[in-house]
Amino acid sequence: MDAFTYFAMSWLSPELLGLTALGTFLGIYVGAIPGLSVTMAVSILISFTFSWDVNYALCLMVGVYMGGVYGGSRTAILLNIPGAPSAIATALDGYPLAKKGLAGEAIGLSTVMSVVGGFVGIIVLALAAPTVSEFAITFQPRDYMMLGILGIMLVGSLSGNSLARGIFAGALGLLIGTVGLDPMTADERFTFGVIELWDGINPVAVMIGMFGISEALHQLHHMNKAVVKQKIARIIPKWSDIKKYMPLSLQTSFIGVIVGALPGTGGDIAALMAYDHAKRTTKNPKVPFGQGAKEGLIAPEAANNAAVGGAYIPMLTLGIPGDAVTAVFIGALFIHGLNPGPLLLLEQPHMFWFTVGNLTLANIFVLIFGLTGIKLFSKIVECPKGILIPLIFLLSIVGAYAINNAIIDIWWMLAFGVFGYFMRLYGFPVGPVILGVILSSLTDENWRRAILTERGSVSDLFINTLQSPLSATLFSIIVLILVSQTPLWTKWLKPKLFRR
Amino acid sequence: MSSQFSAQKTRKPGERLFCFLLVLGSVYIFWQAYNISGFSELSSPGAFPLAASAVMILASCITFLNTLKSPAVEGMRFKDHCLPPIVAIVMTLILVYSVILESLGFILSSFAFLFVTIQFLYRRSILYTLSISLLALIVVYIIFRLVFQVVLPEGIVPEREILSSIKSLWR
Repeated sequence: MDAFTYFAMSWLSPELLGLTALGTFLGIYVGAIPGLSVTMAVSILISFTFSWDVNYALCLMVGVYMGGVYGGSRTAILLNIPGAPSAIATALDGYPLAKKGLAGEAIGLSTVMSVVGGFVGIIVLALAAPTVSEFAITFQPRDYMMLGILGIMLVGSLSGNSLARGIFAGALGLLIGTVGLDPMTADERFTFGVIELWDGINPVAVMIGMFGISEALHQLHHMNKAVVKQKIARIIPKWSDIKKYMPLSLQTSFIGVIVGALPGTGGDIAALMAYDHAKRTTKNPKVPFGQGAKEGLIAPEAANNAAVGGAYIPMLTLGIPGDAVTAVFIGALFIHGLNPGPLLLLEQPHMFWFTVGNLTLANIFVLIFGLTGIKLFSKIVECPKGILIPLIFLLSIVGAYAINNAIIDIWWMLAFGVFGYFMRLYGFPVGPVILGVILSSLTDENWRRAILTERGSVSDLFINTLQSPLSATLFSIIVLILVSQTPLWTKWLKPKLFRR
Repeated sequence: MSSQFSAQKTRKPGERLFCFLLVLGSVYIFWQAYNISGFSELSSPGAFPLAASAVMILASCITFLNTLKSPAVEGMRFKDHCLPPIVAIVMTLILVYSVILESLGFILSSFAFLFVTIQFLYRRSILYTLSISLLALIVVYIIFRLVFQVVLPEGIVPEREILSSIKSLWR
């Protein structure tokens, strides 16, 4: 009964309902406008909402997340420019459909299937999270340490072409997270005698700089890209189409949940894997893939929204981000005094059920806003970059100032913004930096606890790791991922093992 | 997928220098990490930063060595493709905005920033830019200052007095 009360909380309160609707609406536009990312929007929102009641802030941010993942598909279909990385696969068949004059139908179908995917993700979250959480209570410090490493490693390897660059970015994030007084011994770390650094570098300033400023600076390279306009007719999809594609949508939704739940993977990977699944399993598509196959539109859209629910599983139960947005979310929860991890579900089960209810509500708003206002939408996404980019800078600077009403946070944000610009320019992924910052204290403190438990003996730690089934599994996964990214595997073992 | 330690096939202008600076920066951070508690214990406050900075040195060295091997992209110049004038000018505008934000206040500095940046990037008539900047500023101010109650620097504009006199008009 309690669970249901918390589930329905955001449905029954007019303010929470309104904020979720507003968040979803904004999210759709943020996700759709190329150059604005959900991660950027959520990072900026944290700075504006940190003084709010946690429920209000969460409603707005959950709405932005859910709407943003869906919104990316709109510009992918209309302009062949994915508004978000999770919509890259959508553009492959969505844009050809639009070119055939079926833009409205493509948007309608992608909306319905996104909502189906969203619901599958939420149901799996509601069913699986309590079990995962109970299991996670038995975790030892060494397991948490390995989870931290796993989270950073997976993103490091997935967000760029080069593992070395990803690892560098992750390690840099870990170091940024250690700046300030050590929480266990109060020793100064990287403070250079500056008292202002005792509290460390504000992660929100790092986030806004890395995602807001650096991304907007990059957009300046593409100021002259012309916008293509599309004709929009029928939007509500045919019932026969919904029935026909429902099995594929459910299959790819499950792919989305599983991929989303893996630390370090998000909607983009889920969508690409779902597209690949649709391509392999659809024997005789009416229209070939890449030329406007509806299967190629539905699969990634169902999967990327299902990945949202999936990404919440490790976030709420283990405190490990599923992707860059959930990393920012974890930061937001910490700022609001919540501690995501196995104890969250035990100590504050209301937060879990509140989040599940809120996600469900946001998903319903995706359906409502997704099927309406498309003509107005197509006008707004054509907002010139010359106006949009200065606004992003303005919001980023004001957002950084609003954290502590201190100009120092603006300097940090600008420094990380410029550094992030060059990192992006030279192929360094910026996502792992944020993950590193978020996972730094988890990894550091649990490493020290683990080694103290073994009285400083690395060999004992190693032996105990191998003797515990859970620790051994985590250790094996880390080793496997590391090996799979090295030339030993890619150049030598893989060609030998998978020779046709 | 060619997911190797470095799959960058070509090198952009300035990439080699950037990677070299990362190596130097990593070595400096390693030295700073060593200064926290040396190599005393594995559970010391400096152990984790030492390990992370060692990883940074290793990763940055691999990246730097790869840039030594990879050929430069033909026809690409640093000032045109990596730090074009548009980016450098906007960076300067942001810097100036950040400097004047506290002294001039949110309203004046943001309006000036929006006007100059939009005029520079969008290049329409001054009247058009003025109205767009003003409209954007009003929307941002209402949403963040009045609705979200975010504290913004007042500077030389007596904002609180103006707001309270507007409120008193309503009473």
